[in-house]
Amino acid sequence: MFSELSAQREASSLLCRPASEDQGPVFDRVLQAYTPCSERFKLGERSFSRQYAHIYAARLMQMRPLLTERAQQKWGVNVRIRKLCDLQTGEQCCIVGTLFKHMELQPSILKEISEEHNLLPQPARARYISDADELILEDELQRIKLEGKIDKDKCVTGSVIAIYGAEKNDGKFTVEEFCTADLPLQTPRPSLSSDKFVLLASGLGLGSSHADSMLGLQLLVDMITGQLGDQGEQSGAASISRVLLAGNLLSQSTQNKEDSTKAKYLTKKTQAGSVEAIRLLDELLLQLVASVPVDVMPGQYDPTNYTLPQQPLHRCMFPLCSVYPTLQLVSNPYQANIDGVKFLGTSGQNVSDIQKYSSVDSHLDILENTLRLRHLAPTAPDTLGCYPFYQKDPFVLEECPHVYFSGNAPSFDCKSDSITKSLTEVLLVTVPEFSSTQMACLVNLRTLECEPVTFSAFSADDDDESEMNISH
Amino acid sequence: MDELYLDNIDEFVNDHNKIVTYKWLSLTLGVHVNVAKQMLYHYLDHKRKESSAQLHATYLVSGKLVENGQTSHRVSVVREEQLEDVKSKMSVTVSVHVYSVQKAGLKDSGPLYSVDYDAVKNNLKNCSRYSAIRCASAVPMSSAEVQQAREMERAVVPEPQNAKTVMNGHASVASKPSTKPPKGIMGMFANKPTPKNEDAGKEIKLEPKESAAVVEAPKTKPAAKTNPMANFFGNQAAKRPEKTVKEEEGAPSSSSVEQRPSSSRAEEIQEAVTVEQPREAKKESRSKTKRVEDSDSEEEKMEKKKRRRIKKPEPDSSDDEVIPDSPQRHEAREPSPRSEREEMTSASRPQQENSGIKTRKRRRVLKSRTFVDEEGCIVTEKGYESESYSETEDDVQPTRSAPKDPIPAKIPASRKEDEKPTKSQKKAAASANKGTKQASIMGFFQKK
Repeated sequence: MFSELSAQREASSLLCRPASEDQGPVFDRVLQAYTPCSERFKLGERSFSRQYAHIYAARLMQMRPLLTERAQQKWGVNVRIRKLCDLQTGEQCCIVGTLFKHMELQPSILKEISEEHNLLPQPARARYISDADELILEDELQRIKLEGKIDKDKCVTGSVIAIYGAEKNDGKFTVEEFCTADLPLQTPRPSLSSDKFVLLASGLGLGSSHADSMLGLQLLVDMITGQLGDQGEQSGAASISRVLLAGNLLSQSTQNKEDSTKAKYLTKKTQAGSVEAIRLLDELLLQLVASVPVDVMPGQYDPTNYTLPQQPLHRCMFPLCSVYPTLQLVSNPYQANIDGVKFLGTSGQNVSDIQKYSSVDSHLDILENTLRLRHLAPTAPDTLGCYPFYQKDPFVLEECPHVYFSGNAPSFDCKSDSITKSLTEVLLVTVPEFSSTQMACLVNLRTLECEPVTFSAFSADDDDESEMNISH
Repeated sequence: MDELYLDNIDEFVNDHNKIVTYKWLSLTLGVHVNVAKQMLYHYLDHKRKESSAQLHATYLVSGKLVENGQTSHRVSVVREEQLEDVKSKMSVTVSVHVYSVQKAGLKDSGPLYSVDYDAVKNNLKNCSRYSAIRCASAVPMSSAEVQQAREMERAVVPEPQNAKTVMNGHASVASKPSTKPPKGIMGMFANKPTPKNEDAGKEIKLEPKESAAVVEAPKTKPAAKTNPMANFFGNQAAKRPEKTVKEEEGAPSSSSVEQRPSSSRAEEIQEAVTVEQPREAKKESRSKTKRVEDSDSEEEKMEKKKRRRIKKPEPDSSDDEVIPDSPQRHEAREPSPRSEREEMTSASRPQQENSGIKTRKRRRVLKSRTFVDEEGCIVTEKGYESESYSETEDDVQPTRSAPKDPIPAKIPASRKEDEKPTKSQKKAAASANKGTKQASIMGFFQKK
């Protein structure tokens, strides 16, 4: 794709003497129509005095009609749709409700406090699922335990689904089948005449101790800004019409949490690690924004609010590059319309949280699941920090995006064909963490294909070329 | 093209022992990046033919690479000896060029980054001047344009935010009261200094109003009571513009349910003004006698202890403590002209109230004030403000607060009856507001 496009011109024009006085080719950056659509993720008033129950209520209310419709499609128009309070033992019916997974291992502050005298601290876990987990379905008034044909390890708390089956004498509901809200409607995208790319990268991890990965980052910047490579490469790079940085621009190591517990006189003269890292980021972004429009999303370790939706980084942190109109500081669930192609995605917190609370391993599968649940972050607010929304749950997908991504994945992965139904075409992308994989990805807006771009440099210990890819 | 650059590069590489990358060369000589790459190649070629001292070079190779079934575009920087190897692995080679030339062999690629970093850092403002891509829209705005753009943003922001909040469910009826009632009272406080600063003639009228406001205030703003008045005013005067703006913003969006209690409260205050005015004189004379003070100050201490637990609705205005360990601006000892002016304005008050019982002194305290700016960001500013105090601080505080405490006790029963319906109304509206709730319980105990 990108390689072929770039290779179309004859190569090796650079392995010769400078020809004449002329200053070499200059390509114009391909520009595009861009509309940010992230308004629903912006917080106006920030009141944290509310309870979280409202989100679940709002979510169920928003999704009930969708699921009712889906249930009727799946089990016939005459299927009995019951509320839990009207449920009769032995009757075959369908119930719409919110899943709750009772998990023994889920960390709970109350448990820690109440049991701290008799319990050793639990070891940190990568996963919190266990065999003793129980699935419970809740609607507005009641809850019921579920069993039967539903895989509890794959489900997560907060998903709104419709189940079909009957209540047995022991008070548990035996599920025969269940369905999710599935993909929302999609507006078709316009067809483009030429190849245009959007580059997605995440997890730049500035300010980490691994300074040797910085050359890779500089190569990325040089490629985008048209310094690197042959004319072909440069003309290809000119068709990168936008760069999207999906969170974790700073490394986790810039957050020295122990500082807050230290005595003030000890840390009086120390500077927060993030200060230097932000300065680096500012310089890096300056090189980018002077050449291409850039959208900067915050991530888990970036200096903005922790709870989703994360608000844009403040521009006063970027004194150098904030004067460029090409810099867009955007919110964490990010939504935008780029040349008619709808982008939606997060910096990856939603996906990695679901990974901890389910048996699904692949970020791509989780991403697809959230699309099918029609909800960006079902585990918020249970295990994922979230603003206490009141009347509306903004994470419910109302429209199907064309590109649905999540950042800071352990590896690059993308998928487009298997979930396409008749008219819906979605490209799912897990954007790899750049600092560990040295990889970014390019989305072709014309074909909705995605291709990774990797950067490598040599290091002291590898003489063999295949080892060159930085692998820590 | 003359070949002077060969000598240049030779000097950099051999005499200065530098690592010369194409980017560094391009920025140093001011030539297009592609020309710089060709220069490096030419130099390398030239030197190799001379077969003089050994030179090391690194190359950049990019192309299509299929690895583990995954196709990717690979961009690599490699040592010269690996060049052919890497090229052979790529299914499509897009570009190959000299990346850097240096005298010594490089163990790892770290130094390449540092060389480029320094070059780029020195040319940050026009780092892509010599690159092969121009971006028409990436023109830095002048400071005036930036200002303009931000003002536009500000002008635009309140509108969509309101619309947004309605859409998003932030502007809910139950949520508004939580911020509203304190704001209304704050607004009452905040508006006061304006006439005061403008003409001192209104001061007499203001004072009763003030105390009336305090009668209302204890429920929501307990901490403010403990401050010396003058300080309170000085503080508010600085903050006033902010507050009034907020009021104006807030007012139209508040529901009609909201406005009714506040307007009725305003009426009440008017009423209170007339009721309280005669009492004012009594109060002052009372506060002069030490005996009454003592009995009050006991109560006052208890009050203070309890109050510490109360969630303060407006931490900015009540946070008057001297912060001893804060590192900022210790050298700023002399009072600024501004604080002197403040002294002037506020000096008349304590004397008038206390009739010069004590020797007044000024001290400078570091205060932090927090407010929400136009974009919804919480800004904390620390600054020195001067406040007046007397050596016997305990005596002053009771004189300040003594007038406030007896009054609720002395409110005629009928007035209390009046107050209650409005309060319950307020409570019904502000069900979510913890601050008011708790404070109103305090008020309940206080009256018993």
